[in-house]
Amino acid sequence: MFGGLKEKLQAVRDRLGSSIQASAAPQATAAAETVAGTAPKKTISPAGPTFSEKVKVLITDRELIVSEKDISDALSELEMTLLTSDVALPVTDAIIAHVRANLIGKHRKIGQSVDALVVGALKSALLEVLGTGFSLVEFIKAHDRPVKILFTGVNGTGKTTTVAKIGAYLKKQGFSVVIGAGDTYRAGATEQISVHAERIGIKIIQHQEGADPSAVLFDSVQYAVSHKLDVVLADTAGRFHTKSNLMNQLEKIRRVMKPDLVVYVDEAVAGNDAVIRAAEFDRTVGADAIVLTKADMDSRGGAAISIAHTIGKPLMFLGTGQRYEDIIPFEPAKVVDELLGSDS
Amino acid sequence: MQQMDQRELMTLQHYMKEYGQQAEIFVGQLEMLENGRMEALAAIESLEAMLSADDAVVLLQIGGGASVRAKVLEPDKILLSIGAEVVVERPNKEAVEFLKERIMEMEASQKKVAETLDRLRSQMNEINKRLESGYQQASAAGQDQE
Repeated sequence: MFGGLKEKLQAVRDRLGSSIQASAAPQATAAAETVAGTAPKKTISPAGPTFSEKVKVLITDRELIVSEKDISDALSELEMTLLTSDVALPVTDAIIAHVRANLIGKHRKIGQSVDALVVGALKSALLEVLGTGFSLVEFIKAHDRPVKILFTGVNGTGKTTTVAKIGAYLKKQGFSVVIGAGDTYRAGATEQISVHAERIGIKIIQHQEGADPSAVLFDSVQYAVSHKLDVVLADTAGRFHTKSNLMNQLEKIRRVMKPDLVVYVDEAVAGNDAVIRAAEFDRTVGADAIVLTKADMDSRGGAAISIAHTIGKPLMFLGTGQRYEDIIPFEPAKVVDELLGSDS
Repeated sequence: MQQMDQRELMTLQHYMKEYGQQAEIFVGQLEMLENGRMEALAAIESLEAMLSADDAVVLLQIGGGASVRAKVLEPDKILLSIGAEVVVERPNKEAVEFLKERIMEMEASQKKVAETLDRLRSQMNEINKRLESGYQQASAAGQDQE
C-alpha cells in the first residue's frame, strides 16, 4: 500500500538529512575562524537566523541552527514528490509550511541525529494533515442503539462490498448488525448484498428491485429496534452529485432513517478526483466520515493523504483487498510510521 | 461427493456473477493503464523528435481527422501535468524523464492489477468446476426419477 509514495518520502527524508548535515561543516569551520579573531562582518542568510547568530550559538551552546538556505532544495523536492503523488495542492502547501516552520531556526546539539530531527518534522506535518482518524467502534459505543450508518458515494467504487466488510468487522468486534439493501436501483445489487450477508452471517432487510430505498431502510431500522440490534448498515445506490433526482432520493432517505453517521465511499486509486468528488458530495448531501477502497492498488497515496485535510472529515477505513477481513481502520500514526519508518 | 442442493447452486451462481463483475472492473482498469502507458510513450517520442528536428514542425491534430503542420515555438519548454491538477514547466529532457518514471509506475500498477485478476480467475474456475459438478448431479438425479 502506497509503496511509491513511501519510496519517494524516504528519498526526501535522506535528502533533507544530508542537506542539514552538509550545512554543519561550514558552520564549524567559520566558528574556528571566529575564535581566532576573524569574525565575518556581514550575515549571509536573509531567512532565519543570521550567520553570526549561528556561529555564536555554535560556540556558546555547542549547537547548530538550521536555516532556510540549508533545506530549500530539499523542500522543493518534497513539494514535487507530494504533487506527483497526487497530494492536493493545499495539502502539499500545508505539509511544506509545517516542515519549514519545524526545521528552520531549530537548534541541533552537535552529535544529535539529523535523521531524528527530519523524521520528527515530516511526521508531525503528515499527522497534522491526516487528522485524528475515526474509531467506528468508539462511535458506536458512545451512541444510543441502534446506530444507523448510511453509505453513499458514486457508482462502481465498491460501496456494497465495503458495507459487507464493515458488517464483518463489526460482527467480529461483538456488535449485532443488520444490513439494509437500499440499492434497489442497480440490477443485481440486492442479490449481491444478500449473498454477502449470507456469507458473513448477518441479517439483511430487502425489498424487490425498484422499490423505494427509503422504505427498505426504514424497515431495517424498525427491525433493529424491535430485535435490539446494535448497528444498521444502510447500503444505497451509487450516484453522482449532479443527478438531482437521485440526490433528492438520498435526501428523502436521510429524512426517513435519520442516520447517525453518513459515510462517503470512494476508491483510493482515483487520486485527486476522489478528493474533489468527496468535497462535492460533502457540500451537497454531507458526509461525516470517509472510506477509501482499493488502497492496496494505490501506490501514490494522494487521496488518503489529502482527503481529511481537504474536506475536513476523517478517513475511517481503507479497503485493502478482496476478502472480508481486508479492511483496516485508518490510524494516522500507523500510516505515518509505515510511510516514514519508525523513529530512528 | 456430497449432493449439492438447489440453494447451494444458486449461491454459486451469485458468486460467479459477482466475481465476473469484479473481473470486468479490473479489466477496465488494465485497459486504462495501458492507454495511459501508450499515451506517455507517444508523448516521449514526440518530445524527442521535436528536439532533434531542426525546424520543430509537428503535425497537430485538430479533430475530425484533420491535421495541420504547426511550428513549436519553444520545443525545450514543456508544460507538464504532474498530478493533483498542477502543471509545471520543465525542459524537454526532464519532461521525458518524468514520463519514463510515470510509465514505470503504470507498469507496476498493471502488474498488481493483473495478479489480482489472475487470482479472481482462478477462483472463478474453482466455482465453475463446482457448478458443473452440481449441474451433472442434478441432471443425474432427474434421470433417476424418470
